[in-house]
Amino acid sequence: MSQLENKVFDSKVTRRDLIKVFGASAVAATGLFGASKNAFAKSAPHVVVLGGGVGGSTFAKYLRFADPDVKITIIEQFPEYITCLRSNDVIVGYHTLDELTFNLDTIKSKYNVNVVIDKVIGADFDKRTVQTAKGHTLSYDKLVVSPGIDFKFEDYEGHSKELAETKIFHGYKAGPQTLALRQQLLSVPKGGTAIIAPPQNPFRCPPGPYERASFFAEYFQKHNPTAKVIVLDPKDRFTKDGPFKKAWERLYGYKTDNSLIEWVSGSEGGRVLSVDGDNLSVETMAGTFKADMINIIPNQRAGKLAQKLGLTDASGWCPIKRESMESQIQPGVYVLGDSSIADAMPKSGYSANSQAKVCARAVADTLRGNELGKAIYSNVCYSLAGENYGVSIAAIYEVRDGLIQPKGKSAGVSPITDKPAQPILEAVYQKNWQREFVKDVFS
Amino acid sequence: MKQSMKLNTLLAAFSLMAATSAQAEPQMATGGAMAWQCAPCHGTNGQEFVEAMPPLAGMPAKQFIDAMIAYREGTRAAIIMDRVARGFTDDEIKAMAAWFEKQPVKQWENTSLTESLEAQAAAEATGGQE
Repeated sequence: MSQLENKVFDSKVTRRDLIKVFGASAVAATGLFGASKNAFAKSAPHVVVLGGGVGGSTFAKYLRFADPDVKITIIEQFPEYITCLRSNDVIVGYHTLDELTFNLDTIKSKYNVNVVIDKVIGADFDKRTVQTAKGHTLSYDKLVVSPGIDFKFEDYEGHSKELAETKIFHGYKAGPQTLALRQQLLSVPKGGTAIIAPPQNPFRCPPGPYERASFFAEYFQKHNPTAKVIVLDPKDRFTKDGPFKKAWERLYGYKTDNSLIEWVSGSEGGRVLSVDGDNLSVETMAGTFKADMINIIPNQRAGKLAQKLGLTDASGWCPIKRESMESQIQPGVYVLGDSSIADAMPKSGYSANSQAKVCARAVADTLRGNELGKAIYSNVCYSLAGENYGVSIAAIYEVRDGLIQPKGKSAGVSPITDKPAQPILEAVYQKNWQREFVKDVFS
Repeated sequence: MKQSMKLNTLLAAFSLMAATSAQAEPQMATGGAMAWQCAPCHGTNGQEFVEAMPPLAGMPAKQFIDAMIAYREGTRAAIIMDRVARGFTDDEIKAMAAWFEKQPVKQWENTSLTESLEAQAAAEATGGQE
């Protein structure tokens, strides 16, 4: 195990350092740290974080704020992380994938976090250990899991993981999928059709499919004005649908004969039942749709690791205690982000960041034997309905009647006004937010 | 890790405070817990000085309180802050104001962990009072 630990935990802690931390009287009176020169480091509780994405990285940073002494280890499968947020931009060329790629170097160096690039293959909750693919076993006092999402390809006849990697891309985990969608969009022939099929609730980034549809329409307007995007939706409502549809009317001729976007609701038969990858067509309740590219964003459940560790319930997601994000199934294990059941909070990067901060305080308080403080959560989702047209939804949340619910009268979407500055400023703020958010997470 | 005496004293004061206040169910989140929620737009601990969203670190408490109440009551034009402000009571706004006022007036990337821990502990030690 020692080879997994970075020098922070193995560094010799001198009596002088301990006096600095605890004061001379504490060291002299207890004699607690007298026996071994590195007893301080070895005796600190160890918090292990599975997943170095938005939830895991934010958690490690803010746990360091909440407890300067605790040992923190992140186990992350990949040395680099590509944010899903703003990956729609990459499809239409407003961002490059490189600009959305981050690592844990600053988390490691600035916040004294041990970073292990390895894959977790199992956990023993009784012994409080996790096992990795490279054969290591790590002990923990508290375990934090932030595993993202998994797709339910089986909900669509003819669909599969293989098809999703070759032809019918989801583009809902950023990386090669994003670039594949970009390639398909650029290849849509003149007057062609792109289909986007959003999932059932609940799913990651609720405005994501509709922002993507907006971007496709904007791309076609500039480069392929007789092409169009058809959204085949299993739902009758979607987040921010008021401001989104108003934007589509203003920008893309929505509800006219020449609209660049057509949205088929669940009631109108929009739910996709099956997909034919060879003929590029889908069957819906409303009939067969043929297209030049098909982007099915499949129904979702908690990430594979959460399933494997037995942290999910019958819904496929992870039930948590609302005050702390601690699993209702495994005490001492905490679940962050998209995998968790967080009631009114959407599955967004902002939510994962918010939950990680509440969880960091809860873990620190629990390790000290203190009562938990009152939890407060927040979410702001800025989306673009066009490169310079933003729409947003925002809320502050509290735990009330056992559920995470909007606090006060905070919950709301962008008002629809005649002020031209409103959507332009929202787009400016969106870009500010993206730059700032990734700094709060990774640096 | 190394910690300064100042931080040590502040942490001790804070844990004592936490112990004495742990008797009753907390009525509201601490100033720090709320302030952390502002970071995705305003920077870690409000220390973002190069974007359109205003920095909150070091903002005089009265300025913060007046702005938040004006947003909440709809007397100040807003894009999104009216919706955010409606989530907070007067006491919560005051606690955040007192916390942000104590944060270093410098870009987050140029702030050391120790410097920030000291500032955060000093802010927590006020208990949200000016």
